[in-house]
Amino acid sequence: MVEEEGIRVVRCGGSELNFRRAVFSADSKYIFCVSGDFIKVYSTATEECVHILQGHRNLVTGIQLNPSNHLQLYSCSVDGTIKLWDYIDGILIKTFRVGCELHALFTLSCAEDSVFVMINKGKPDVFQLASVKLPKSSSQEIEAKELSFVLDYVNQSPKCIAFGNEGEYVAAVRDFYLSVYFFKKKTTTRFTLSSSRNKKHARNNFTCVACHPKEDCIATGHKDGKIRLWRNFDDEKKYTYTCLHWHHDLVMDLAFSVTGSSLLSGGRESVLVEWREAAEKNKEFLPRLGATIEHISVSPAGDLFCTSHSDNKITIIHRNLEASAVIQGLVKDRSIFTGLMIDPRTKALVLNGKPGHLQFYSLQSDKQLYNLDIIQQEYINDSGLIQIELTKAAFGCYGNWLATVEQRQEKETELELQMKIWMYNKKTQGFVLNTKVNMPHEDHITALCFCNAEKSESSTLVTASKDGHFKVWILTDDSDIYKKAVGWTCDFVGSYHKYQATNCCFSEDGSLLAVSFEEIVTIWDSETWELKCTFCQRAGKIRHLCFGRLTCSKYLLGVTENGILCCWNLLSCALEWSTKLNVRVMEPDPNSENIAAITQSSARTNLCHEPRPLYIQKNICREEVLWGVFVPRDVPESFTSEAHQWLNRSQFYFLTKSQSLLTFSTQSPEEKLTPTSKQLLAEESLPTTPFYFLLGKHRQQQQNDKLNEALENELVQLPLTENIPAISELLHTPAHVLPSASFLCSMFVNSLLLSTETKSAEENPDDVDMEEEKESDDSDEENNFTEKIQDTNNTDLEEDIIHQLSKSEEKELKKFRKVDYSWIAAL
Amino acid sequence: MAAGGGGVADPLSPAGVPCAFSPQSQAYFALASTDGHLRVWETANNRLHQEYVPSAHLSGTCTCLAWAPARLQAKEGPQRKKRKSEAIGTSNQADLLALGTAVGSILLYSTVKGELHSKLISGGHDNRVNCIQWHQDNGCLYSCSDDKHIVEWNTQTCKVKCKWKGDNSSVSSLCISPDGKMLLSAGRTIKLWVLETKEVYRHFTGHATPVSSLTFTTIRPPNESQPFDGITGLYFLSGAVHDRLLNVWQVRSENKEKNAVMSFTVTDEPVFIDLTLSENKEEPVKLAVVCKDGQVHLFEHILNGYCKKPLTSNCTIQIATPGKGKKSTPKPIPILAAGFCSDKMSLLLVYGNWFQPTIERVALNSKEPHMCLIRDISNCWAPKVETAITKVRTPVMNSEAKVLVPGIPGHHAAVRPAPPQTKEVESKRKLGEKEVSIEERLGALDIATKKEKDDLPQTNSFPVLLTQGLESNDFEILNKVLQTRNLNLIKRTVLRMPLHAVIPLLQELTKRLQGHPNSAILMVQWLKCVLTVHASYLSTLPDLVPQLGTLYQLMESRVKTFQKLSHLHGKLILLITQVTASEKTKETTCPAQKAKLVYEEGKDLGHAFLAYCFHQDNWDEDEDEKASEKDEDVDEENEEEEGDDEDKDEENGEDRDVASEKELNGDSDLDPENESEEE
Repeated sequence: MVEEEGIRVVRCGGSELNFRRAVFSADSKYIFCVSGDFIKVYSTATEECVHILQGHRNLVTGIQLNPSNHLQLYSCSVDGTIKLWDYIDGILIKTFRVGCELHALFTLSCAEDSVFVMINKGKPDVFQLASVKLPKSSSQEIEAKELSFVLDYVNQSPKCIAFGNEGEYVAAVRDFYLSVYFFKKKTTTRFTLSSSRNKKHARNNFTCVACHPKEDCIATGHKDGKIRLWRNFDDEKKYTYTCLHWHHDLVMDLAFSVTGSSLLSGGRESVLVEWREAAEKNKEFLPRLGATIEHISVSPAGDLFCTSHSDNKITIIHRNLEASAVIQGLVKDRSIFTGLMIDPRTKALVLNGKPGHLQFYSLQSDKQLYNLDIIQQEYINDSGLIQIELTKAAFGCYGNWLATVEQRQEKETELELQMKIWMYNKKTQGFVLNTKVNMPHEDHITALCFCNAEKSESSTLVTASKDGHFKVWILTDDSDIYKKAVGWTCDFVGSYHKYQATNCCFSEDGSLLAVSFEEIVTIWDSETWELKCTFCQRAGKIRHLCFGRLTCSKYLLGVTENGILCCWNLLSCALEWSTKLNVRVMEPDPNSENIAAITQSSARTNLCHEPRPLYIQKNICREEVLWGVFVPRDVPESFTSEAHQWLNRSQFYFLTKSQSLLTFSTQSPEEKLTPTSKQLLAEESLPTTPFYFLLGKHRQQQQNDKLNEALENELVQLPLTENIPAISELLHTPAHVLPSASFLCSMFVNSLLLSTETKSAEENPDDVDMEEEKESDDSDEENNFTEKIQDTNNTDLEEDIIHQLSKSEEKELKKFRKVDYSWIAAL
Repeated sequence: MAAGGGGVADPLSPAGVPCAFSPQSQAYFALASTDGHLRVWETANNRLHQEYVPSAHLSGTCTCLAWAPARLQAKEGPQRKKRKSEAIGTSNQADLLALGTAVGSILLYSTVKGELHSKLISGGHDNRVNCIQWHQDNGCLYSCSDDKHIVEWNTQTCKVKCKWKGDNSSVSSLCISPDGKMLLSAGRTIKLWVLETKEVYRHFTGHATPVSSLTFTTIRPPNESQPFDGITGLYFLSGAVHDRLLNVWQVRSENKEKNAVMSFTVTDEPVFIDLTLSENKEEPVKLAVVCKDGQVHLFEHILNGYCKKPLTSNCTIQIATPGKGKKSTPKPIPILAAGFCSDKMSLLLVYGNWFQPTIERVALNSKEPHMCLIRDISNCWAPKVETAITKVRTPVMNSEAKVLVPGIPGHHAAVRPAPPQTKEVESKRKLGEKEVSIEERLGALDIATKKEKDDLPQTNSFPVLLTQGLESNDFEILNKVLQTRNLNLIKRTVLRMPLHAVIPLLQELTKRLQGHPNSAILMVQWLKCVLTVHASYLSTLPDLVPQLGTLYQLMESRVKTFQKLSHLHGKLILLITQVTASEKTKETTCPAQKAKLVYEEGKDLGHAFLAYCFHQDNWDEDEDEKASEKDEDVDEENEEEEGDDEDKDEENGEDRDVASEKELNGDSDLDPENESEEE
């Protein structure tokens, strides 16, 4: 029995990952990317989402590692805040309020206390680069209003700004000019390319910029596919540039490798090009990346690259140009023609995927399962080409059949249509083409549906088309002496007064077929294909049509363009009721008599056979809802209240215009949003490596030697480190919140200095104990490497000193722990 | 009384490889194969999710593995300031995988990060770890080993919480009670421990060989009237090495009963067991047992007390290769593991080999006691690195697929035959036809042989050849005739061919038109000729619609572009050719030999009652009686035809019904348009 809370709309996946450049963690184990209002942390090795950092109230527009502590991450958002995160544990550390919309974020290692943001004041297209001073304070929420402007009138895209040579200058490009601002000299130099209308220079526009990490060199990408490398740009006269040209279309992004030895570029060709030593002839390619490269980023360790693609995926690439992992979100196609479907076999969500593919998406794990290549033609990624598009798809008979319709229309009269009917082959566990129909209709196919009645002995498929016909296809035996085979043939062609057929659907038992012809709904007997009756409401074209289920199977619901929802009774052949409701999406639940309708005003009604809605949720989302689908639950829930009952057997998912997938849930958003939010709480205790045995033994040996020496001189008493509060404090504080080691060291050593009155405190002459203590240190502090060394150093060096803290010093140390976590730890 | 021994080659060690489904939604399947690699597969799309090789995989192979129980994240805001060390016990450890090794160490592997999380060694086992169980609530880990001890680990600190001697020989299996307060352990005998005090609560007889699996099957006692103390009345299941019986035991309040309550029998040693817990008295326990011989046995039983006779399985699942043709025999594919899905109605089957297993979800709806699934896994063997990255699956598109293009039967609805009455007539006629056909053929053959001897290359022989070819359906003869390019020859042949051959010729032409476009070009000439010359004859046929429906559709679909223009063009051509033809026919007399043949038939009225062909007979009579009037006839017919055409024009505008008249109209209209297309 689930605790019944209010139903709320919950985002359950599908948001875009390719909005901004992805950022690698310092050790390349994690990769961060912005995703709507969240930041997602993925593991580069397993492609799994480790954390979702949530806290921003609007679109996150930029993320950068904290240059002074690489275990922390800065993010900025349109909501006007900069947040600092501890990404390992997924904890928000601080919020800086800036107060105006932030559109991009840059950090510099040399300017530790300030970050650079892009802000927009006044006009919509005028962006400024400003530096924000982040005040040090212990509070969680800090006002950071101290803005100083660096550059004005910059491009909105963060790809058009780059900081070079350890923060000596910043380069920004816009339209036809490149401006470089030198922080030391506080001067701006500007270089303008010819922008004349003639053919040669018309596409000279800058698209992106990148700066060499070590040298004074700026690389710019251009709309015509050229890459220019600028040098000597501190002088407006003597500057030079060289050209690299391989891309035939605009350069989408550029990135220098960590050492600067090679330059990476990518574009619509979906080929990653590596220019070694910035020379035209030294090129390496990684082709067939699937979709337009939108962003390129390089890990600080230099071992990985990653490319963000227009189809909502991030490819992680090894230094030797081998793709190693793909983080794939819900593929974003130009538009979703097929709508949402559920594959009865895998229970996956099915919709348009990559061009010409159907994507299968697992709702449980919010992950793409695979793309099914339906069209099977080489996709040429070029602008202005008219592609074959997958327009309709439907599953039939428990997923045994899949029908797809693809079309290509170059001119008004030249429509190419093809319908493919695939059979699921259990032996090979895959789809096999069964029947291919060229030009099944003379005009666009508007609807496609299988008869999914359980009893029907023959499989039936209906296609409705704008050419005024609907065709009934049945499965027939095509066996001959050579092979046993089945195939689909057309059984019946129906039409109604030359009206365009717009929708079709079967009743639950498969005995009736409803086909809407513009404003008229016709009911056909599926046995004899006789026209049984017609309904006409003269209220505009029918937009959606569906039969009721179970107890409501005698009703037929229709939605018209003019915003009328009609319900006809099939027994009396009369209108049962109608209501004024501008329904955008209407979906029946296969497991119950409920029907979900989403109206334009974002209210959501859930209708039964009565005109009274069962449940209404208003304002479900900001954007327009395009499609919806009911997904049967594996294990039925048992909500008892009337408002929740409709969620018992199925869940309703819907897709908005920006392709985020939402659903209704009673569970708290945290649970829903992070179904597998992985909080690793068990202490990591990595095993001892051979190196440890070498070094550790050596160290122990040293210790023992010294100890023996000391013993010879004087009996040295060593207290357990655990008994010293300062040490235990230090050891239990995570490394990334500690002050820098150099700072700690002196006072820590001081704290260990022997004060005479505590000399006889604890006596522990046994060296076995000391070993124990060392062991415990190791197991506790494997991750705090510096500390450990420091600790052991201390014990090594100061072994003849009894470790004890004076109370005041202890307090001081405690204060440090409490006060400020943003200490700069030079790790 | 051997203590098990730590080696892999131990005959008494459990068969099969350590493998497990991830808890809850069974999204992953972890498998530690004998080569020391740990592989995690995604069950939904059968894709290798990750692969991990422990650094000591050669010395300490993985002997058992267990997923950490998935727990809902505790309610803590994202702003929680607790340090991780303080937030113990509120974790979601769904991604942790515990691996026991042959040398006694236990590894915790994080599947999310893809790296080793921690290693439990100190104070643990010094021999092969046999079984690992996670405690469902408090994050503890229990392990048992060949060193006779059971160890309780604290996974947060990775230290031993407790270690006690579990048996006199090696401890081979563990299971934690549903309420988390008791622990079952088994070597050969089974012991139930109270976890708090580590004292033995009950003893059970166990098996003769080391117990390889232990599971609780119920979470509630069958008798709900009594107060439930968390353990009394519960059933559990045990399976052992080399034992074909799975025993079910009940924990009873009195300490007397030590024998199994009941047992299940399977065909071989159990390798992997999964079951659905029954939550109330009415719900049966569903049990899936994977045996060493690669079969899965399914049991469905309501546990209520004693049953002396071992129960046999309700359903057995086997998987085999298809065995192509007669040469290769089907081979069984071993099933490696089986797990119930959360809906309890379907089963995830893992089969194939350990390095590239196939994972499939099979619905359990069958009443039949034996299910044999035929699977072709030959193409799964090759490692597919490319697809692993791009995640694209290509469905098979082979030449066996049926292709429907406009004009091919099946693309459009078949033309319905006219009312059932005519159907009967038709069928009668067909019968008649069959009866006669032999004789007919003989007669034809006679003539044909004669003709062939006479003059083969002459144009005269073409109509004869044609009729002969059509009747005998001889491909070569037909090819010889139909592949001529000479327009005049075609015209003359068509003109001289017997009328009864017109319909067969048209059908032959239709068939060829549907074929290769190159041959269709030639056929169009023929079709045009036939339709212009024999339009009158065709228009007299009452059953034309069913006979030539496909041809009509074919032409209809092929002249879609410039429909009206081609209609007009067709009509004009028809008119002109008919007019010229009528002039010509005055000069050319009807073929003499044909008249002869018909004459003979006409004479032979003894057979005529067999109604060779209704129309042909009609024509025959015509021929007999009005041979001289023929010319005029043709003219008249032509005029009729024209009138018809006009009528049909109007009809065309009105309606597109599938009427017989229209059909004819289509025929006569459309043939020239084919030509126009070519032009």
